[in-house]
Amino acid sequence: MASQNTTRRRAIILLTLTSIMLITLDLQDSPKVAGLRSIFGTLFYPVEGVARVITRPVGNAWYGVTHYNKLLEENSLLRQQVAQQEGATVAAAASVRLSQELLALNGLPTLAGINAVTAQVIGESPTSFSQTIEINQGAESGIRVGMPVLNAAGLIGKITKVFTNRSFVMLITDPDFSISVKVVSTERKITGSTVQGITSVTTSTAVPLEPVSNTPDSETTTTTTTTIPIEGFTAVVTTLPATPKGLTSITIPLASELAVRETGVIQGNGPTRQPTVRFIDNSLRFGSIEAGAPIVTAGGSRSLAPPDVLIGVVSRVVERVGSAGPLLEINIAAELTNLSFVRILLYQPITEKKSP
Amino acid sequence: MLLVVLALQTTMFKELRPFDVAAQVMLLFVVCAGIQFGIGVGAIVGLVAGMMFDFVVSTPAGLGSIALGLAGATAGLYLYFFPSPIWWLRLVSIAVVSAIGEVYIFLAQAMIGLGAVLELRVLRIIAVVTAINVFLSPGFFWITRWTLSERKKTR
Repeated sequence: MASQNTTRRRAIILLTLTSIMLITLDLQDSPKVAGLRSIFGTLFYPVEGVARVITRPVGNAWYGVTHYNKLLEENSLLRQQVAQQEGATVAAAASVRLSQELLALNGLPTLAGINAVTAQVIGESPTSFSQTIEINQGAESGIRVGMPVLNAAGLIGKITKVFTNRSFVMLITDPDFSISVKVVSTERKITGSTVQGITSVTTSTAVPLEPVSNTPDSETTTTTTTTIPIEGFTAVVTTLPATPKGLTSITIPLASELAVRETGVIQGNGPTRQPTVRFIDNSLRFGSIEAGAPIVTAGGSRSLAPPDVLIGVVSRVVERVGSAGPLLEINIAAELTNLSFVRILLYQPITEKKSP
Repeated sequence: MLLVVLALQTTMFKELRPFDVAAQVMLLFVVCAGIQFGIGVGAIVGLVAGMMFDFVVSTPAGLGSIALGLAGATAGLYLYFFPSPIWWLRLVSIAVVSAIGEVYIFLAQAMIGLGAVLELRVLRIIAVVTAINVFLSPGFFWITRWTLSERKKTR
């Protein structure tokens, strides 16, 4: 027993001295300690690997139990981001088209000049029949009945009831919802005339462009058309080929051939069915409407929403006989089942504004 | 057995983090050994376990060895004061020594200037580690008894 105690004591002293020596060496960044670590790591790695494989289900179960709420939050956040991205994609596609008009018409009214109020969604509809949400901003913030409500992806509805500090928003999917919209054409080719004598011209676009067809004409006029496939529609830009004399030319699109829009009225069909656009002209000016065409608000003096607020894209075109025109089913850009924060545009059409 | 416990520490118990605190099963193994087999065995197991642990973590090698060796020796005092084991007293001892063991680790790091700051989080770590060790102690009692008794028989 005494010899056992002596052995233990020696072992303890030896191990303690070893530990102190290791601390000293390691603090000096000794390569010997690094070598020892490496050797131990090599020996230990297989054991650790087996333990990792065996214990992984336990770790996964624990993670599932303890991080469930966090996962839900993360999922919700990601859904918001996806909605935002989808909206941004469609908006970007529409912007390419719109930029040509803006260049030609030297500016159009945009959302930038309209004040907005951000509100939090505090409740959903107490009934199963109406598609409404309640928000925590009201008349005190300048909200009035009829104002359009957006989220990061696009239009989600309009204000239908206003209290001092809260309001109700009727969602696009509500069967009572309707607003005038316009369909942006999906494919066009622009022709135009050329201004010569310009030595340097720079064209800039938001997306990388690769010319598909490039057919410059001779002498006085040049018509160049480039078609870029973008998700949902095809944008058109002009390129400027250099002339043999070192001159360049600009192609100016004809005003009559700028992007033409067809207008209609969007109506909700309940939460399970997609909203539809009716009253589209039977004889379309820009040809047939195809799935993927962006739908934006039409604006106008009587419309409750300003122009060019993104709503969604055409998911299906239902042709109808007679003069009724096609019926468009719309895939809404905003995710209406997961709303947290919304933006109310403090916009009222001219006809609604009270004169001072 | 220490390799297995170390593997559990670096895999499963690294991920199971109640209140964002990792369980310290190496410390628990050492404490259980000390409580059952006395100061000498506790110190040796602690020094060896700590040294192994040091080789897989980024802190200076030998630091954990000293801390766990001290914890094992402290746990061994249980047999000195209470030669006849009482189950609930063992649990209390495990709780106390686990807390002290964490303090040893904290002090050891502070002594070599590893930036250990006494803050509320340290108290939370000590409390959580103590609670986990008490919860897992019945199983580890059995493991340490089986491991170290086996060695006695072979001798």
